[in-house]
Amino acid sequence: MTTTDIHALLGAYALDAVDDLERVAFERHVAECEACRTEVGELRETATRLADSTWSVPPPRLRSDVMAAIGRTRQLPPVESARTVVPRATAPRWRRLTAVAVAAGILAAGASAGVWVVQEQRVRDERAVVAAAEAREARTRSILSATDLVVRTAPIIGGGRVTVASSASQGASVVSMRADASPAKDRAFQMWTIRGTGPAVSAGVLPAGQASAVEIVQGVPGNDVFAISLEPAGGSPSPHEVVSQVFLT
Amino acid sequence: MTERGAARRPDHLSAVPDPESRPPSDVGDLLRAVARGDEAAFGRLYDLVSPRVYGLIRRVLRDPAQAEEVAQEVLVEVWRTAARFDAGRGSATAWIFTIAHRRAVDRVRAEQASADRTMRVGVASVDTPYDEVVDEVSGRLERQQVRRCLDDLTDLQRQAVTLAYYQGHSYREVADLLEAPLPTVKTRMRDGLIRLRDCLGTEVNA
Repeated sequence: MTTTDIHALLGAYALDAVDDLERVAFERHVAECEACRTEVGELRETATRLADSTWSVPPPRLRSDVMAAIGRTRQLPPVESARTVVPRATAPRWRRLTAVAVAAGILAAGASAGVWVVQEQRVRDERAVVAAAEAREARTRSILSATDLVVRTAPIIGGGRVTVASSASQGASVVSMRADASPAKDRAFQMWTIRGTGPAVSAGVLPAGQASAVEIVQGVPGNDVFAISLEPAGGSPSPHEVVSQVFLT
Repeated sequence: MTERGAARRPDHLSAVPDPESRPPSDVGDLLRAVARGDEAAFGRLYDLVSPRVYGLIRRVLRDPAQAEEVAQEVLVEVWRTAARFDAGRGSATAWIFTIAHRRAVDRVRAEQASADRTMRVGVASVDTPYDEVVDEVSGRLERQQVRRCLDDLTDLQRQAVTLAYYQGHSYREVADLLEAPLPTVKTRMRDGLIRLRDCLGTEVNA
């Protein structure tokens, strides 16, 4: 996704009409764009006015419930509590928290595929699967919370979208893809990385017929293009029918 | 109604809020007191914002029971994170409603993802007469202003903005619903909000 694409999300972002990865990409863009920050602030204030027309009196017990709940809820200290707070000091932590929220969203999005895998393999070695799932989740979180995270997205031919969230410091990316149409039963999506004019290097093959995935792909940062192609089941040595390209540089 | 209301207030006094309307600075002052652990200030803040917080969440979720649950989460979150509010980034009101709206939208998306949304329409459609009374005295001016400004938008702008804000749809869903191209929907959301901002801004000063 180019800067122009991200910038075009300004109104949608102010209305919470973006997905989690777009939200992260946009907030990163805004952190470096003073004019955007001003406009987002104004449009957020405007969107808030839309709540003016939604008055509805809550049930009286809500007040007692909330007052009771705050009585047992510890308040967070201001960000950077021990030191002098500079106005923008909140941004990095805010973004880290957002990234964790995104990790949760991605894990939720990948949950249905994950459940299937777990069920199939449970008979073989339940503990290994659980350990692998936990490691995968931890790895996903650490990539998505990296301070140097760069998020790029591209459409898939025939409908759908690929999002590549890369961290150079982690040397890996979290790839989330969802195609509108599933490949035929004997066909599969295959992922590739391309550097300069060199050949495409396979970054993994999805199970035949599977239309969506959330994958951790090592070594994506440093490449120029991340691509998805449609191949015979099991994959090919080089891509045949490229359906999406995400430009990384 | 509006003309009468406006006529009662001479132009040069319009900056002074009348007792029924919400004085925005109060929300900010109360939030700062809440950040210092002042439970009484939180109670006053609750009284000031909870009908709109609950109303907004209920509008998005439709289900009063779920709305109550999410409203409680949001209000407790306001208490918990009050010290993180940064006045340099926007008003206290916008900060609170950003939390409320995002939580409501997150709940909608989570429900869509789990695909087990249960419709409890029968309960959802009941409005107590008490609602209307409080609506009448408290929200009338702002509601009319927002509605009039929404009417000023083009159809596509208005539909894009309201489908996203009040129904919690993503811009992709809005594009599907309106059978409009994605870039158009993104643009209409932005220029619709800009037009709304200009309209509301003008009316506040009028």
